[in-house]
Amino acid sequence: MDPRKHSLIIVVGSGGVGKTTLAAAMAASSAGAGDDTLVMTFDPSLRLKDTLGVGLEAAENITRVKTDTTGELHASLLDARRTFDRLIDRYAPDEEARQRILTNRFYDRLSSNLAGVLEYMASERLFEVAHEGNHDRIILDTPPTRQALEFLGAPARIVGFLDSGALRIALKPWFDKEGKLKATSKLGIVGRNVEGFLDRMVGLELLRDMADFFRAFAPLYEGFRERALQVHDLLRSPETMFVLVSGPGEGRVADTLFFARRLTEAGYNLGPIVINRVHPILDENDLKKPSEGHRLLAWLGRRDHNAVAELRDLVGDSHPVIEIPLLADEPTELKSLSALGKLFESRLDEELEGL
Amino acid sequence: MGTDQTDLLARLDQLQLLVVTGKGGVGKSTVTAALGVHLANRGRKVLLIEVDPRENLHQLLDTPPSGGEIVEAASNLWLQHIDPRQLLDDLVREKLKVGALVRKVLASPVHLHFTEGAPGLKQTAVFGRALRMVEGHGPKELPRPDVVILDAPASGHGVAWMAAPQLVSEVISSGPIGKMAAEIAAFLADKERFGSIVVTTAEEMPVQEVLELLKAMAIRLDRQPELVVVNSVYPPAPKPRAKDDDATRLWIRRRQVNEAELSRLVAGFDGPVVEIPLKPIDAGPLLVGVVGEHLTNAFEDNDGSP
Repeated sequence: MDPRKHSLIIVVGSGGVGKTTLAAAMAASSAGAGDDTLVMTFDPSLRLKDTLGVGLEAAENITRVKTDTTGELHASLLDARRTFDRLIDRYAPDEEARQRILTNRFYDRLSSNLAGVLEYMASERLFEVAHEGNHDRIILDTPPTRQALEFLGAPARIVGFLDSGALRIALKPWFDKEGKLKATSKLGIVGRNVEGFLDRMVGLELLRDMADFFRAFAPLYEGFRERALQVHDLLRSPETMFVLVSGPGEGRVADTLFFARRLTEAGYNLGPIVINRVHPILDENDLKKPSEGHRLLAWLGRRDHNAVAELRDLVGDSHPVIEIPLLADEPTELKSLSALGKLFESRLDEELEGL
Repeated sequence: MGTDQTDLLARLDQLQLLVVTGKGGVGKSTVTAALGVHLANRGRKVLLIEVDPRENLHQLLDTPPSGGEIVEAASNLWLQHIDPRQLLDDLVREKLKVGALVRKVLASPVHLHFTEGAPGLKQTAVFGRALRMVEGHGPKELPRPDVVILDAPASGHGVAWMAAPQLVSEVISSGPIGKMAAEIAAFLADKERFGSIVVTTAEEMPVQEVLELLKAMAIRLDRQPELVVVNSVYPPAPKPRAKDDDATRLWIRRRQVNEAELSRLVAGFDGPVVEIPLKPIDAGPLLVGVVGEHLTNAFEDNDGSP
């Protein structure tokens, strides 16, 4: 249950809960403890981008963050399109095959719009980097929760798709030399009607282009499949630990539990659950004349702490539950990130002792 | 702000389809419900459509779950939860008609993977349904809605939803699907009939995403939202004093961040912005009522006339 004992930490959770900042904080602590650490970010804030040195110029390169820690700290930002291009480069058997894909009119659109591509590229990039083995520890930030489920499922889905009938059907040479649909050519008048129907529905040209697209990928099929399985194994390796980050607000407790269960049921190694940005307790009775604002803050503090207590109750001893306070300022400098990292670790230690 | 609000009310009274977009966790559903109640109270017939699998609009309106059906939530206000997947399957049923063929297609892995993966299809289908409701092709027992409000799924990529039908119509450029997508795209391009509302909080990341969304909307769709609603704003804070407790210090700082981010937002958007203050009320019908009152006051503020 201790992420410090694992070399790959994957931080998952809803959007807007401070996941990326926490991932960066854990990375700062890790480097501070002497381990060469890489934090792979997905969508950092502008100031965090500055601090980590990632962003447009760095593209998806791994940058070295200047720190005075004993371990090195590196950071990167995902560039899904480039990762996809590299995947093609790696598995295309020759230049001609590569060009067929890159020039297919669907490649451009699908590579940026296909549901799950972004998430799949995040896991692919992770695999590339983990394989290079240049770091003692990698901390991966992920897309927000519902998409994160896609992220985790992406390799399996790709394999599922590749193994299913879909690709086999798509790869069949549908069109004969004259450009007529083969399946229908033997059926005479009925065949012509079916062809006419399909042409009317989506246009034969579209079908031809789609068939071309799938056929262009055919030589890469084996490689993709093998790669997807490797990523799948990496995500489930004993070296890999998941940290789930949530907020204390409305409905989050149910969502958090739901996601935690899905993760463990799917065989992933879930460690701590973090409730981030918890309002402090304020006792109105301590104030001589509580204003409406003070009463609001008191309410927020009670609401948040009730949510944490409820989650602790439901989680029991199965995972450490770590509460992180709402800080006056979002940590974006190395110093404040390290401080947050230390806070996380001291609370984690308290929890681990209690378990 | 006065002229803005008059225009806004006129716009809201005229538009037939409204999409409410925003990042996860900003209170979009509460604002959508409040907006629906507001418009229903003004006498418009409102249909709220929800697509998030975690169906929760019905709880905010104190109504039994829709279960896919259109349910009446209040006077002039209806609610329907839609599964986009189901809509696409229904489309196949409708277009193919032959039962055996329909079953084969729906079960085929090509269809399953294609409809899951193909960009823009589900969004197009949902808009298509909304358009049909607005044009009076819904169930006969139901009065034709004056306005459909679509609670878009939580996402930082609101533009993807609004640009989807155009994308689909470009890829599938012929046949009834292409034609349907083109019709929907034309409707979404009609500024007299379709508009969007963005919900956010006054924090750095959400405001950053809104500014980027505004840019994307301007470039790709040549339009801007009718309104930006900024939720969960901390109340004005007291002046800092040396012996302030942690909670007060936090309040002061969060209020400062809110004010800075509000300024940043207003600098990047010249349309109406409504602030909703943080309330010590749990999400639910009571909060929806309070937010609704707030919207009503804000819309009529500085205007003199309701």
